[in-house]
Amino acid sequence: MATGLLGRMHRLRHASGWIFGTMLFSSCLSLIASFVLSKEAITLAADPNANLSCNINAVISCGTVGSAWQSHLLGFPNAFLGLIAEPVVITVAAASLAGVRFPRGFMYAAQIVYTLGLIFAYWLFYQSMFHIGALCPWCLLVTLSTTLVFSTLTHINIRDGNLFLPARLSSALRTGIGFNLDLLIVVIWLLMIVLAIVLKYGDRLFG
Amino acid sequence: MSKHDRLRAKAREVRLAQERAERRRKRIRIAIGAGSLVIVGLLVAIFAVVYTSASHDRTTASGVLVTPANLAASGAIPVGQTSAPVTVEIYLDYMCPACGKFEQANATELDRLLAAGTIKLELHPMNFLDSRSKGTNYSTRTANAVATTADQAADKVWVLSKALYANQPEEGTSGLTDQQIADLATTAGVPQATVDAFKNRTFDTWVTNSNDAAFKAGVQGTPTIKINGTHFEGDVYNAGPLTQAIEQAAGGAS
Repeated sequence: MATGLLGRMHRLRHASGWIFGTMLFSSCLSLIASFVLSKEAITLAADPNANLSCNINAVISCGTVGSAWQSHLLGFPNAFLGLIAEPVVITVAAASLAGVRFPRGFMYAAQIVYTLGLIFAYWLFYQSMFHIGALCPWCLLVTLSTTLVFSTLTHINIRDGNLFLPARLSSALRTGIGFNLDLLIVVIWLLMIVLAIVLKYGDRLFG
Repeated sequence: MSKHDRLRAKAREVRLAQERAERRRKRIRIAIGAGSLVIVGLLVAIFAVVYTSASHDRTTASGVLVTPANLAASGAIPVGQTSAPVTVEIYLDYMCPACGKFEQANATELDRLLAAGTIKLELHPMNFLDSRSKGTNYSTRTANAVATTADQAADKVWVLSKALYANQPEEGTSGLTDQQIADLATTAGVPQATVDAFKNRTFDTWVTNSNDAAFKAGVQGTPTIKINGTHFEGDVYNAGPLTQAIEQAAGGAS
């Protein structure tokens, strides 16, 4: 399978350059989205009825999402967390692209912290979808890019054996990644989210 | 253990490891096959949902403005005798808890003043709280029901409106179902043919326009009360102040 175009694509996907490149790109998207959301949180704080750029209709509305309690869980807009955390991810990705190899413990800690971030992002997505009853495009971008950063970080950590896992589990995971099972899982996961969104909001999304 | 035995054991170990690896590869190939099928299935499902909801949109009346009959000159839904000297305008959203509190405090007084011919009401139903009903658009559904009643059975508007408040769901819940709203209207005495017409959602667009017009006219939230066109700034959550202001206006008019 390591011949021709497919083989080249396969090697590219598992090369550090590609993985960290994807991580850098995704974390930049996250940072941009966090910046826009922070800016809107401030606008909204000054004027609760402000007409935000992304209040498109009843379903797609960051005003609605932004005013919900879930959007400032810790007493300040969640987006501020993105402003704090994403530059760190960007730094790690950029340094790795430049050839820096971080110690195992460092990458392990990064995996743990980022997993917490992922859980938080999906909790917010769940709240927005089922309790607030509106979606905001910038929050969806955060959900997407967080997923991508998480998958690239996990990819690299399994490939390089950074996770302090038992030898057999570690080799099984590495084989799975060698067969691109991680890619398969991420694609299925994202498609499931798209399906959930169109199922719940389809008729009003385009209305 | 002889050297030979050790070599044999080692060879067996290697063979076992190879078999294990082969089994694992096989499982992974099966997983990839299954996963690919899942992806295809998901793509088909997504396209099917998007396609049906897009075509669904074209067949419903959404986007077409139909204005209810029997509206007041202001474009609001009138209640009471047109000859009444005082006009009380109420901007409301059936999902809004403050509107519910207003109603609870003042319904009896409003009923009395309506019966006495002192006031007529003009209801401006709004739907800006649609986002607060878990995507069921409770505000629009109820406002459409009231608009449909205004269109076909104008004398039942006020009882329906009161029934909706008496059964008001908590803000942020999915609200009453269409069936519950229909049952409630039937109990309130709205004719069956009118109740059956709720589901056509004929006046959705009118409700949205009415909502936007209210905001454009400077309404900042609900309930907003105007007496003969003047914004009532007093306490709307206790009976008394509103009645006083109305009676003052009535005294001034006569």
